[in-house]
Amino acid sequence: MLNKIGKYTAILMMCGMCGCASTVNDEGAQGESSTLESYNRAMFSFNNKVDKYVLRPVAKGYKAVTNDYVRQRVSNFFNNIDEPISAANHILQGEFADSGNNLGRFAINTTIGLVGLFDVASSMGLEKNKTGFDETLATWCVPDGPFIILPIVGPSTPRAATGFVVDGYSSPSYWIAQESGGEDAWLVYYGVSGLKYLNLYAENMSLLESLEEGSIDYYEAVKSMYLQNRSKLKACGTSENGSADYDFDMGDMDDMDNY
Amino acid sequence: MKKILLCMLAVLSFAQIAYADINATKASTMVEELTREGIEKIINSNASQEEKNKIFKQLFTENLDLDFIGKYVLGRYWRTASAQQRKDFINLYKEFNVQTWSKRFDEFKGKKFVFKGTGSANNPNQLYVNTEVPVENGKPIDVKWRVYEHNGKMKIIDIIIENVSLAQTARNEYTSYIAKSPKGIDGLLENLRAKVK
Repeated sequence: MLNKIGKYTAILMMCGMCGCASTVNDEGAQGESSTLESYNRAMFSFNNKVDKYVLRPVAKGYKAVTNDYVRQRVSNFFNNIDEPISAANHILQGEFADSGNNLGRFAINTTIGLVGLFDVASSMGLEKNKTGFDETLATWCVPDGPFIILPIVGPSTPRAATGFVVDGYSSPSYWIAQESGGEDAWLVYYGVSGLKYLNLYAENMSLLESLEEGSIDYYEAVKSMYLQNRSKLKACGTSENGSADYDFDMGDMDDMDNY
Repeated sequence: MKKILLCMLAVLSFAQIAYADINATKASTMVEELTREGIEKIINSNASQEEKNKIFKQLFTENLDLDFIGKYVLGRYWRTASAQQRKDFINLYKEFNVQTWSKRFDEFKGKKFVFKGTGSANNPNQLYVNTEVPVENGKPIDVKWRVYEHNGKMKIIDIIIENVSLAQTARNEYTSYIAKSPKGIDGLLENLRAKVK
């Protein structure tokens, strides 16, 4: 499956380089070409079926055998193991103090925090400050490319997908699996990653359900939210987070008092 | 003559400033009171779901300017909509929002809002009241309330969670739906009517 995703990603990256840009403020189609949209909608509905018939039952089972406390430890463990990814990317973004913060957190939480199960560093004033290769590419002014639904993974863009793959390969969990798994290294890695995403999914399941209920076109709503949320990444050439400020009084509003 | 002109100019510019300067404290207090009431009377209260829904509907419609948001959400279709379509849309949009949000009370259990001052919006008559919702693991959730003054009352016109604006999302979703629907605006109204029932 992941090999397939890799292939898709390569195609998507090429597509992104062709410069088919997508913008969030466009009305309706949000700058999406109709070919891409019909692919996206098909993949979106496939993913929703996988969600409904595979992920949701598994996540419900997982929720039944774990409690909040356990899920919190699992989440902490994965956050900690990915801390070096943030450290490396903060260096690539020229933010050395933030990188030091990540390394400090990693050192403290891996030791005193019992291999990351407890986030002791936060209570010591080293706040969580996550970043990844996607954000590094954003600060390097690499364009995002069009909105795309990846199989299983879900909403993405060529740049986000690149970041996802690079972060996956640079994750310590990948290297540990390589070291200790022998021939089955891939299985170990997929298993570990599977738990990471299952935990994340279980925590957000009800939110997704209510989002679907509250929308008339779930695909369009997810797309809009995903792209808006990405505007929070650091903008091109800066270390500032993007803002969500937009003009609330576009030309459309000029006759608003006349109804 | 020159003096009079200068005087008029001064008065005018003062009026301009006074008009443009939306009162940050007033806006912040309004959001603070709303969230406090919401948490006390709905989230942490033992009232029945029916009672909670009633209080929520009242708080929601009193503090959000749903007429304003509804118009923004319809975007360019607002212009071509008939008076009846506009009226129907605003009413359905109100009902649909109240219905959707009422189901999400439990998600806010044990949560609180930490107020982080105000920020300017690109429109001088609007501003953001910045809040954060602390979570057990990781960075707090960033929630901004876009507020403006209407007929002497502070009203919320958008809620932005982690850079995701509810008004913008609905606008993208609804205008795309209308563009695709063979019945246009009526298609959207039919869909909403079926959901609100």
